[in-house]
Amino acid sequence: MAEALQMPRQGLSVESSFLTKWHKEIGDEIKEGDLLITFETDKSTFDMEAEIEGVLLAKFFEEGEEVAVLTNIGAVGEVGEDYEDLKPQELIEEDIKSEEETKKIVDKKRTQVSVEDEVEEIKYKKPEVKEDVFKISPRAIKLSEKNSIFHEMAIPTGPEGRIIERDIQKLIDEGPVFTPAALKAYKNMKDKPSKDSLTGTGLGGKITIKDLQITQEKSEEKIMAGELVIPENIEYEEVEMSNIRKNIAKAMHDSLQTTAQLTLNTSFDASSILKYRKKIKAFKEELELSNITLNSMILYAVAKTLLDHEQLNAHLVDNRLHIYKHVQLGMAVDTERGLMVPTIFDADLKSLNTIGKESLKLAKKCQEGSINPDYLKGASFTITNLGSLDIESFTPVINPPQIGILGVNTIEYKIKKNTEGEFVEYPAMGLSLTIDHQAIDGAPAARFLKDLSNNLEKFELMLSK
Amino acid sequence: MHYDLIVIGAGPAGYLGAERATESGMETLLIEKNKLGGVCLNVGCIPSKTLLNSAKIFDKALHGEKYGIEVDGIKLTHGKVIERKNKVVHALVSGVRAALEKKNIDYKEGEAHIIGINENGYLVELEDQKYSAEKLLIATGSKPIIPEINGLKESIKNEFVLTNSEILSLAEVPDKLTIIGGGVIGLEMASYYNSAGSDVTVIEMLNHIGGNIDEDISNILLENYIQKGISFELEAKVIGFDFKNNEIIYEKDDDEKRIKSDKSLLSIGRKPVLENLGLENIGVEVENGHIKVDETGKTNLPGVYAAGDVNGKSLLAHTAYREAEVCVNNMVGKKDYMRYKAVPQVLYTDPEVVSIGETIKTAKEKNIDFEVKQLPMMYSGRYVAETENKSGICKILIDNKHKTLLGLHMISHNASEIIYGAGIMIENELRLKEIKEIIFPHPTVSEIIRETIFEF
Repeated sequence: MAEALQMPRQGLSVESSFLTKWHKEIGDEIKEGDLLITFETDKSTFDMEAEIEGVLLAKFFEEGEEVAVLTNIGAVGEVGEDYEDLKPQELIEEDIKSEEETKKIVDKKRTQVSVEDEVEEIKYKKPEVKEDVFKISPRAIKLSEKNSIFHEMAIPTGPEGRIIERDIQKLIDEGPVFTPAALKAYKNMKDKPSKDSLTGTGLGGKITIKDLQITQEKSEEKIMAGELVIPENIEYEEVEMSNIRKNIAKAMHDSLQTTAQLTLNTSFDASSILKYRKKIKAFKEELELSNITLNSMILYAVAKTLLDHEQLNAHLVDNRLHIYKHVQLGMAVDTERGLMVPTIFDADLKSLNTIGKESLKLAKKCQEGSINPDYLKGASFTITNLGSLDIESFTPVINPPQIGILGVNTIEYKIKKNTEGEFVEYPAMGLSLTIDHQAIDGAPAARFLKDLSNNLEKFELMLSK
Repeated sequence: MHYDLIVIGAGPAGYLGAERATESGMETLLIEKNKLGGVCLNVGCIPSKTLLNSAKIFDKALHGEKYGIEVDGIKLTHGKVIERKNKVVHALVSGVRAALEKKNIDYKEGEAHIIGINENGYLVELEDQKYSAEKLLIATGSKPIIPEINGLKESIKNEFVLTNSEILSLAEVPDKLTIIGGGVIGLEMASYYNSAGSDVTVIEMLNHIGGNIDEDISNILLENYIQKGISFELEAKVIGFDFKNNEIIYEKDDDEKRIKSDKSLLSIGRKPVLENLGLENIGVEVENGHIKVDETGKTNLPGVYAAGDVNGKSLLAHTAYREAEVCVNNMVGKKDYMRYKAVPQVLYTDPEVVSIGETIKTAKEKNIDFEVKQLPMMYSGRYVAETENKSGICKILIDNKHKTLLGLHMISHNASEIIYGAGIMIENELRLKEIKEIIFPHPTVSEIIRETIFEF
């Protein structure tokens, strides 16, 4: 009996994943451990390896489709084995539906076979051609495909502005006709050069890839020569946003639409944490401490300070505050795939060493794309750090329904008056706190910042609390 | 006398240009200072192929035992080979002459000088007669490069050193022949005279033979030649000629060496013929020793075009044909553009070497994103059936961005008859998917292209 391949469940909260790549073709031999598919949840990318052996008999879903977890996505077995039973129910229903539709079309054809134009209409209803966008007869389409013609360049002379065969024939005779590769390149061009600006220098006056490039270069040359021209083709590459990016886009947009964000900026004297970090470094191996970074010290300080400002450790849901008992600390991680925010759960209960270890581990998993999606939710407050990229201040965007997000900035050197009245230089680290003004006012937020700064400035004292 | 067009030079570019122009309704005068048909017909492509074919037949018979054919007492009679070559050349030149007559093209022999411009157009003087025309097609071709080397002039004078013209008419096969330059001409002549019985040595400045051909194919070719008994001195630079002793002096590995031979062929390259033409009288722009033309074949002057070797672009007869047609089309107002990306190159050695489009080296230099696949010729059943030479290969380069054929390189018998097919693919910018739909006759050597394409 053939066996089913299932879309794995990745974390309890994930209901469906996108099948992004099939690594095997139907008919391929599959060995245990072979890479089978790559799939994405809304935040991570995973690879699925084979646990069963045999020949890939069927793929029930194509690349790019969203598949509910634990749904059968394909069948593995011996050649010739039946796998119909493994097909997901929804697909079977679709099959029946499309069969019925085909039957309907055929019936319609039979009844109207004498009206040639009508038959063309029916044949023409292929999904890839949107008739409402472009009116063209199927014969004209066929002829243009055969001759590397970009049919949208034809001047329609058919009824109701429809392009018919003779219009395509005219294009073939008079141009422009493309080489197959140039046609593909032209179709991919976003701002297509106009018919009149193209000069075909290929066989029989065909437009070649070089001609498309030259049209572009001509206008570039003029621009570089200082002439005032409107370029034929403003070049850019269209890149489909990854699912992760789409999710970030939606979350960020929703955030600014649904909250009243206000950012407060301050800085604190970072001498204490710098000194402490130095100390840790010296005793790291002896005490078997993890690599405690400035960021993990800030995570720790926030976790310890936040419970005294419980309005910030909360969610705003339908005019109600969900005030969290413990600090569920989100930390923004920059990855190749985009921003990810894993959570250090119950951070207020954890030691500096544990937070240090955990934050490194979570960041690594995010960067590898192997983070369990359940870690990517549940935060009550978030910290985002652009200090390593020399940012002096910014306006972090809240991740709703959270109420606050703390941005950590770089260290600048500032001057202050010491107790003797002398001006002294000190390292100042910037903090940018964005709050949802719907849930909390500026003053309490500022008080949190002040407490946090105090704690950070007396880091060792805080540790002994 | 006034014409619509005066064509100077009656080689491939000239005579074909004149024919096409006449077909388009232009009154045309064609002028040649040496021989109708130019280098190609008289002392180039055609005569060399005649000689090589005789050598091929001889070699086949000589090594026939591999194919179950044994012949005793075969010999190559050089005199008869040359005689046949003369006949072939005569027949083909007569053919061109007949075509000119049939098309009523005025053909005159003598040295043409462009002398100026007046209200009738450009003025050309020939044997004290003045002719004018609105348009000019300069197709004066090329000649061997004769560098300034000690003793070379004297060696040419006393007929120790020959060029492509003389080597094709040698009355006797030299016992020892030294060829300077391992390019197309040098290798073809090395091949013939080796078969005809000469002890041949090729001196080449580069570390490989065959000029710009694919590196692997160049190595296979070298191996084939060495097996035939031809000697090579690579990375060797000729520095002098001892014409009294028939010796060539050259440097190799920092040593000065001498080689004595009966005859020597100088085939280090060719350069455009521009002297005494009077280009300066009308101000035709010359760049690096060749006439500068645009993609329509036009020079810097209106109505003045140049085609063939004289424009320094490709120095091949088949390129010249097409260039002449592009020139004429533009003269009569038909838009046409010269493209060089699918010019086939052939070494008519046995087996033949063909090359079209980019090589790995040129594609890298141009920063093209490409992929290359190669198959031994043994993948073609016809090849295996017909030859015991197992060294042939076919190499294909594909442009990764557009999935089009970028270059094809092959060493095999019959290759020269196949390569134009690759030219069509390149010119039409067919993509892999389209090329894969083409049906090749079976069994043929050409199927190797299909096989290699399916490696992608």
